[in-house]
Amino acid sequence: MITLGCDIGSLFSKVAVMDGDDIVASGTAATTGNIESEIKDLIDGVLKDAGIDRGNIECTVATGNGADLVKDAGFVEDEVTCVAAAAYFYIDKVDMAIHIGGQSITAMSMDEDGEVTNLMHNDKCASGSGRFLEAMSRKLNIEITDIDPLAAQSDKDVLISNQCAVFAESEVITHVNNGEKLPDIFAGICASVANMVVAQGRRFSSAEDYTLTGGVTRIGSVVDVINSKLSGNYHAFPHDPGLAAAIGAALLGATE
Amino acid sequence: MLFAGIDVGSLTAEAVVLNSGGIISYESMNVLPNPVDSAHEVMGRLLKKQGLGWDDLHYTVSTGYGREKVQEEGMAQQNISEISCHGFGAYTENLEVRTIVDIGGQDAKVIKLNGNGELADFVMNDKCAAGTGHFLEIMCKALGVTLDEIGPMSLSSRKPVRMSNRCSIYVETEVIHYLQRGESKVDLAAGINKAMAERVVALVRRVKVEERVMMTGGVAKNIAVRKELERMLGTRMLDSKIDPQIIGAYGAALLAQREGAR
Repeated sequence: MITLGCDIGSLFSKVAVMDGDDIVASGTAATTGNIESEIKDLIDGVLKDAGIDRGNIECTVATGNGADLVKDAGFVEDEVTCVAAAAYFYIDKVDMAIHIGGQSITAMSMDEDGEVTNLMHNDKCASGSGRFLEAMSRKLNIEITDIDPLAAQSDKDVLISNQCAVFAESEVITHVNNGEKLPDIFAGICASVANMVVAQGRRFSSAEDYTLTGGVTRIGSVVDVINSKLSGNYHAFPHDPGLAAAIGAALLGATE
Repeated sequence: MLFAGIDVGSLTAEAVVLNSGGIISYESMNVLPNPVDSAHEVMGRLLKKQGLGWDDLHYTVSTGYGREKVQEEGMAQQNISEISCHGFGAYTENLEVRTIVDIGGQDAKVIKLNGNGELADFVMNDKCAAGTGHFLEIMCKALGVTLDEIGPMSLSSRKPVRMSNRCSIYVETEVIHYLQRGESKVDLAAGINKAMAERVVALVRRVKVEERVMMTGGVAKNIAVRKELERMLGTRMLDSKIDPQIIGAYGAALLAQREGAR
């Protein structure tokens, strides 16, 4: 049974196509202006590349902020449910997932059946989100995909003392003017994001086996700092963590 | 005898010179990268304007960002915290004031005074740009209007656009999104000023507001934010006869007068 999961986030739209337990196609596109046509183009492109006929998709499930804009979705599922479904599917005994998206951080605890038992959600403030990273990289003229390789070259973190993204923007410029190196500044920026995530994760301090999902967790420098500060065993999400919600949506399409 | 106050903030710097008869002159400018340079420049401009020299100043107090350094560089005999300077400036300006709402470029402060003009309570937000002048600055840029325009223009709005976010970064996106959808700048400006006032009120409510209330700092010049605050707090703000942006420097100069006379 082929199902398609579509996660429309604030910064990126993600698509995953699953045939039973296997991911057969996936894709990501920036969410900019005309979301409806962007989604259609993304889905068409992903299916074409994989040589899958649209008629073979038995169920399309949409999730994320813009889920309602996916016109041919069979149903819409909450992002938290999707992330939890994907985490539970791939990782044994997982009891917490922290999802770091473009505009939010969500920590969720799960029981042994993968049901979400509790969650903490921050979407009020850009600190710790993808938008924070985006704002900093834009200010410093760096592509968001270059953050990780840059930060990896650092031998010392430059402390970013402002949590607020707006104030941190001015702060990073001050660091540049003071002669700090970009790798060290970005290491500090990654640590700042990680600290916000850790603060959310610690709300569920009893968690023993956790995973991290969402586009921001593609950045190893962020993940490393989170893991050094959170107790419990970290299990890397086995596929692109940015696709977790889309994969979960496709999985839910197969079960429901 | 001349007394002076220098207040270097995060975005602007002010200088005030007074004598026993009151303010003689004041000057305001955007800050330079270094607070010491800002202090030197703003007071230099004032002195030049008045045909005075640094030696004509009998006693000077520095306040604000880098106030210690400004004193170390010999431009002031003493440095005093911006809270004390603000409180004293506002109290001298109007003895009825008990609560001062000071919204600067990068922070917002609420200062409560007792009947003698002494500090009774104090809260501050310097952690989050929402509810500070920086928020307004970002939104003005997004709207393509100036800080001077955003207040008056929003008064004619019939239907302010409600901002659903608090974070400056998210509101900026929201404003751009609404502009693309064709919302009028007037209604957006009104919505922005309202959102601004809501953040300030949340801070003000952390102290028990005592009348009467005075607004100081650059944002006090925004008529729409001011009116919205009056509505939400259910009080009429005291008017400051002097420019609300120079209250800190004014307070510093008054304290210089008091200290220098000792």
